[in-house]
Amino acid sequence: MCETQAFFPGTGICKELEDRALLLWLTQEGAESLNRSFHVLEYCRVSSMASAPTSKYNSHSLENESIKRTSRDGVNRDLSEAVPRLPGETRITDKEVIYICPFNGPIKGRVYITNYRLYLRSLETDSALILDVPLGVISRIEKMGGATSRGENSYGLDITCKDMRNLRFALKQEGHSRRDMFEILTRYAFPLAHSLPIFAFLNEEKFNVDGWTVYNPVEEYRRQGLPNHHWRITFINKCYELCDTYPALLVVPYRASDDDLRRVATFRSRNRIPVLSWIHPENKTVIVRCSQPLVGMSGKRNKDDEKYLDVIRETNRQISKLTIYDARPNVNAVANKATGGGYESDDAYHNAELFFLDIHNIHVMRESLKKVKDIVYPNVEESHWLSSLESTHWLEHIKLVLTGAIQVADKVSSGKSSVLVHCSDGWDRTAQLTSLAMLMLDSFYRSIEGFEILVQKEWISFGHKFASRIGHGDKNHADADRSPIFLQFIDCVWQMSKQFPTAFEFNERFLITILDHLYSCRFGTFLYNCESAREKQKVTERTISLWSLINSNKDKFKNPFYTKEINRVLYPVASMRHLELWVNYYIRWNPRIKQQQPNPVEQRYVELLALRDEYIQRLEELQLASSAKLSDPSTSPSGPSQMMPHVHTHF
Amino acid sequence: MEFSELIRTGRAQAKLLRGPEAPPLRGTLCVTGHHLLLSPGPQATSDLWLLLLRRVDSIEKRVSGDSGTITLRCKDLRVLQLDIEGVEATLDIARSIEALSSLESVITSFPFFYRPKGLRLGDAWHFHPPERYYKRVARETNAWRLSEVNEDFSLCPSYPRAVIVPRAVDDDALARCARFRQGGRFPVLSYHHAPSGTVLLRSSQPLTGPQKRRCAEDEELLRAALAGARPGARGFILDTRSAQAAKQARVTGGGTEAKAAYPGWKRLHRPLERGWPLQESFVRLVEACGDLEQSMDRWLSQLEACHWLAHVKEALSTACLAAQGVGREGACVLVHGAEGTDSTLLVTSLAQLILDPSSRTMAGFQELVEREWIQAGHPFQLRCAHSAFSHARPKHEAPTFLLFLDCVWQLGRQFPLSLEFGEGLLLALFEHAYASPFGTFLCSSEKERCLCEVRTRTHSLWSGLNQPKEQRKLRNPLYVPNPLAIWPSVELQTLRLWQGLFLRWIRPPEPSEVAWEKVWQIVTDKKTEGCEPTVSASEPRL
Repeated sequence: MCETQAFFPGTGICKELEDRALLLWLTQEGAESLNRSFHVLEYCRVSSMASAPTSKYNSHSLENESIKRTSRDGVNRDLSEAVPRLPGETRITDKEVIYICPFNGPIKGRVYITNYRLYLRSLETDSALILDVPLGVISRIEKMGGATSRGENSYGLDITCKDMRNLRFALKQEGHSRRDMFEILTRYAFPLAHSLPIFAFLNEEKFNVDGWTVYNPVEEYRRQGLPNHHWRITFINKCYELCDTYPALLVVPYRASDDDLRRVATFRSRNRIPVLSWIHPENKTVIVRCSQPLVGMSGKRNKDDEKYLDVIRETNRQISKLTIYDARPNVNAVANKATGGGYESDDAYHNAELFFLDIHNIHVMRESLKKVKDIVYPNVEESHWLSSLESTHWLEHIKLVLTGAIQVADKVSSGKSSVLVHCSDGWDRTAQLTSLAMLMLDSFYRSIEGFEILVQKEWISFGHKFASRIGHGDKNHADADRSPIFLQFIDCVWQMSKQFPTAFEFNERFLITILDHLYSCRFGTFLYNCESAREKQKVTERTISLWSLINSNKDKFKNPFYTKEINRVLYPVASMRHLELWVNYYIRWNPRIKQQQPNPVEQRYVELLALRDEYIQRLEELQLASSAKLSDPSTSPSGPSQMMPHVHTHF
Repeated sequence: MEFSELIRTGRAQAKLLRGPEAPPLRGTLCVTGHHLLLSPGPQATSDLWLLLLRRVDSIEKRVSGDSGTITLRCKDLRVLQLDIEGVEATLDIARSIEALSSLESVITSFPFFYRPKGLRLGDAWHFHPPERYYKRVARETNAWRLSEVNEDFSLCPSYPRAVIVPRAVDDDALARCARFRQGGRFPVLSYHHAPSGTVLLRSSQPLTGPQKRRCAEDEELLRAALAGARPGARGFILDTRSAQAAKQARVTGGGTEAKAAYPGWKRLHRPLERGWPLQESFVRLVEACGDLEQSMDRWLSQLEACHWLAHVKEALSTACLAAQGVGREGACVLVHGAEGTDSTLLVTSLAQLILDPSSRTMAGFQELVEREWIQAGHPFQLRCAHSAFSHARPKHEAPTFLLFLDCVWQLGRQFPLSLEFGEGLLLALFEHAYASPFGTFLCSSEKERCLCEVRTRTHSLWSGLNQPKEQRKLRNPLYVPNPLAIWPSVELQTLRLWQGLFLRWIRPPEPSEVAWEKVWQIVTDKKTEGCEPTVSASEPRL
């Protein structure tokens, strides 16, 4: 195969091919035919035990023939002439390898490595396999076997990925054939260790929308009706001198002066003072986030902090107690005193009630997800699937996070109390709780752009340490700072979208795309730990936002069943009975787990989207017509009486 | 016998609790021959509340002070609580319900009295006879004929009057085959796969017994089946018992086809759970689902311990195997277990759903249920006498049909566009199979149905379901005909607990019904053109 042709230089075509290729493995004919042929294999195996010669009956199968046709005449052949490449992506090397597919056995292929991706195409005629893996996904590269190890395919590379799979390549043993592949992969997968830039800084893609403009804090707070009589916007952190992990713009009680804020900052871990995340449009109760107070072993108190919390409580006259949700288990909060942290004691904070939400720390979550991977990849645990799943505790952790968020949302929506949420540093569990509660309370965040704003605000701007938790471009795969906190949040969102199929504008692909680019390093969105670091690196100027990709092709990410409902509060059922493993994400690499052929489903969804748009348009026309007839404003349908909180608390 | 003898008290004041979501109802409680009524009184706005007594699976009474509580556990898995004024009244009502809900007589059951408006007796009974299916087969092939050898049910009491058999085999030979098969269930055609010309057959076990008897006509019948498909076609006999169980059956006169006697046929054993263990699995699952007190951390292992999903997996993969033999390998497949009235039907009906696009339509699926379950002699009267709550000593109960419905639901979940019907139809079939005002699921065979004159004296469920007002609930708005076979994934990771059934009365009214309604709105928006512009605005749930 001619390589110059393989790396087709025309950017327009590349763009299209790239889009196709990205989805190919997941959604298109490649996966479908793989899936089907796997089924054939599966039943071959079953009935070959019963004797039938395995090769014969494939030729009788109607379904199979049609698949062969699609893979022969479809997209795949176009791809055989070009390897997808983004503008700014440069080719480094290519090599013939054997890909040890955990599902279909060894497949001979050619691997192409660029500064962005590892791309493998099967060289075998009966396999349409394509692997397209952004290097950012790689967490670890190991050599397997040695120059002298025996056995077929025992010499090569073993690559651990951050997205629930491993890749294994076998190479020829002669002449250290894997050495340059190992070195190149290491270099470009872990650019930080080699003083190379992360790919996002090299990416020259062009989109017709700029995702960096999606989130404008002033606009978002204005949407919430802020500033108002009780809350003000402060620029005290303009140069990140109050708190280097907070955004420049904060919303604080009107009655707290900047000096008060500075004094409170001394008593909160990493100066992460309580600031407003969300305000209820009608009852004016608020969600406030912060880090733990620095109580320590001696039980220190801070009058300013105590007063500050009281000021927050008093922003709403009807409230006698401020509710504090400490996301941690009680014992962890106590243990944190030893390192200078702690929690708000009853003696010091008379007007506050403290509850612990029993959510475990980043290390527990990391180990739990590791166990999930153990039971789903490469082989799915067969004999005791459900009890194995239970023993990972992953769903239990999901349940606790959701339960905590429901409590926050319920408190606020009922108007009983304002809520202060913190954990230890206030950037992991706190972000999960505030953002999920906001998603339940505020239908705006359930639209595509609203959700982008939510992520941008509660996670990115408030300093969830994406760089440390994900380890972008970093080779230290065993870093104790890594943890799937954001993935867990997206999982919770998915669980909600399952329970409320019409409440979200986005579909499952939207969530999976976010997770894919959480690791890919193609966009600047999730790079770095906090806003100050991002500003220093000029991320918004030098990289592209993930939202540019999504918003320039929104239809692909839309849920056809979305029905916009203002003011509806969603309370998901956080009972184990109603939570399920997100199979389409965690086990998506396994062709046996695939569900219906995606093509007809997606096509039908597109049709439905069109129908829905038509319907909405007609509805608007009708509304216009009727409002023209009735100029009486009291008939407007969005009265406050439609706030209908329903809590179903079956925990 | 008069119902009035069993009704100990006419009426009492009561409060009805219908689960966590619905508000309690107060009113006058009244027991009639077939129903429990609660009349909320003239000033109330809500309607009369009505429960078919046959729907009651178990009843529990408690008295304290001068009032009592009756807990009714229904066959559709709903749990109701009645708080009744007066100890005597409570005990009397409980006894009346107990007696009336366990009446075994078919001809005094409610379907014989049910006369709904808008339906005519006998309307849908001619909908799905085997003759109708035979017409389709005859269009595709000449190798089969419709035999009326069982006209008077003398050959096989559990078969319908007419069955489809190889053209080459005459009625006398069929009579001898019948004597060689348990219950007279000789091999008959279940499905003809037109693209490959092969067939799916079903029967009961051969009566080889310890002496390994043979039957020339039976062997000839199976040979003719192969010849009819294609010269040189091979066949698989799919025995739904383990090899050992099949062997053991010889002791009691049963057995399995000897290799030498049936050239061209290859035997496979796929043990499927049946009878009491299956019923127990069902009971334990329902118990686990209803167990709200227990710490939910153990839910998944509890679910696993019930084995229900494992049974679903086994049923689906055996059906896939049968379907693969017919659809992909171009082989004929004969399915049987022992009696051939339970797991056999499970496999043949599921295999057809996988292979045959027409059985995935609304009408096609009803025909499939009628042909492969009701007329094929699945003993509904025995299997569905009790559901998961009964304390009565189980005799013949087994949720085979429910397992079938669950498998269909899993197919529908994996292929959301390929079935014309939705969860609503499956739920309705489950309900009606266990207790129904319609006659469709009465009795255990066509013979019994004939004796009871079910066809002329009761209404068919199909005419009830096919009324226009029911359609929105039952149909899948997303349906697009799919001409391909639908091969499901049978991995446990893709199978789900059927929440809509097992957690139906436990979960809060999740927005799924609301969502279903929305989807309908989107899909059929042309019809809603004139409707008010409030549809997309906030819709508070009641």
